[in-house]
Amino acid sequence: MIQVKYFGLIAEAANCNSENVAEENKTLSQILSDLTSRHQLGDYNFQVAVNKKIVSNLSDHVLSDGDEIAFLPPFSGG
Amino acid sequence: MSRYIRQITLPQVGDSGQQKLRYSSVLVVGAGGLGCAVLPYLAAAGIGKIGIIDGDKIEESNLHRQVLYSTDQLGFFKAKEAASAIAKNNPEVEVTVYEEYLTVKNAPQIFPEYDLIIDATDNLFIRYVIDDTCLACGKSFVYGSIHQFQGQVSVFNYKNGPRYRDIFPQENQSVPNCAEAGVLGTTVGMIGMLQANEAMKILLEIGEVLSGKLLIYDLLSNSQQVFEFGKAPEQKKPDLSISFEMVQLESLDIAESILLDVRELGEMPEVKFPQLIQVPLSVLEKESGKLEVDKEYLIFCQSGIRSRKAAELLSKKGFQNLKLIRGGAKDILQLTQNEKSIS
Repeated sequence: MIQVKYFGLIAEAANCNSENVAEENKTLSQILSDLTSRHQLGDYNFQVAVNKKIVSNLSDHVLSDGDEIAFLPPFSGG
Repeated sequence: MSRYIRQITLPQVGDSGQQKLRYSSVLVVGAGGLGCAVLPYLAAAGIGKIGIIDGDKIEESNLHRQVLYSTDQLGFFKAKEAASAIAKNNPEVEVTVYEEYLTVKNAPQIFPEYDLIIDATDNLFIRYVIDDTCLACGKSFVYGSIHQFQGQVSVFNYKNGPRYRDIFPQENQSVPNCAEAGVLGTTVGMIGMLQANEAMKILLEIGEVLSGKLLIYDLLSNSQQVFEFGKAPEQKKPDLSISFEMVQLESLDIAESILLDVRELGEMPEVKFPQLIQVPLSVLEKESGKLEVDKEYLIFCQSGIRSRKAAELLSKKGFQNLKLIRGGAKDILQLTQNEKSIS
């Protein structure tokens, strides 16, 4: 099971702060593509963290059970 | 020194720490919700020199969160009123007021005068100006920003550490501010306080600074999470099929440029410009004949999303001289107003 956390506008778009997905052995880019199309996140800007580390190369990661993905959008209020 | 005795008592501060604060200087960019939380604590702690830059004036809708201001100050410049409030608390602090917005023009003149910059703005465009200027001037900046009940805090360009662009390289994007998304005063208060705390740690050289770490604080669940990041690889480029040059309006010859406003008719603020054409994105496909294919157009909208879509659309129709203006209509309006006041 992979835990996915959403923040800011992304949480609003996904209509939840977190969810679990049973998609082990997929690459990070495959899972992101699935979640992006399911929650229609194509127009949003966000960065992705795996296990609390922001990743710059998405295709390198194969996820395993217990991993956590976070969608981090920029904030602008102040 | 009895004013500071309780903090001097801390072994991590002591007399030497108080001297560090006394000889430190901090520029706070923005005297809104975050700035109102940051400023009184920096002043009360005895930071020697504090700069406040903000061209905004106090409005009634600010008062629920911008707690340095009161009802009888509506319409006054925030920077000046904030300076009066903190000077009243601590007359030992030298306060410099800049009653103007930060721009790509004034940032390189002001930043070198300070040790540390605090980003207390509500404008993503200005954040990139702060990020770029801090890199150019060798300054660190303490970042804070909120979205509804969540806040982000980090420290960028600290001891050659990563910058804001290392997390969010994509500049031209739409993100709602407090006016659009809503905010509780306590949320900006908490995040501003965390920024002030990071500033104190940096100046006192104590604790672990949030460099290379993005703290996200959720005030509804009281949960804090820290995400680590490093410098982005040099070769990283935006993943756009077509890329357009982004330009600063300030660096252009205004008389020579044609601005293309792709916002819908009636969208505020209204921008007046010698050569401006408005063709909303929604009808641009149909009405592109109003534009001349061999002319150069500088495109803008409210935030940058629609201007990029417009450029992609026009590019497919054979337009080759298309540029995107950094920032949005509000930034352009500010700039054209400044130009008017200069001339």
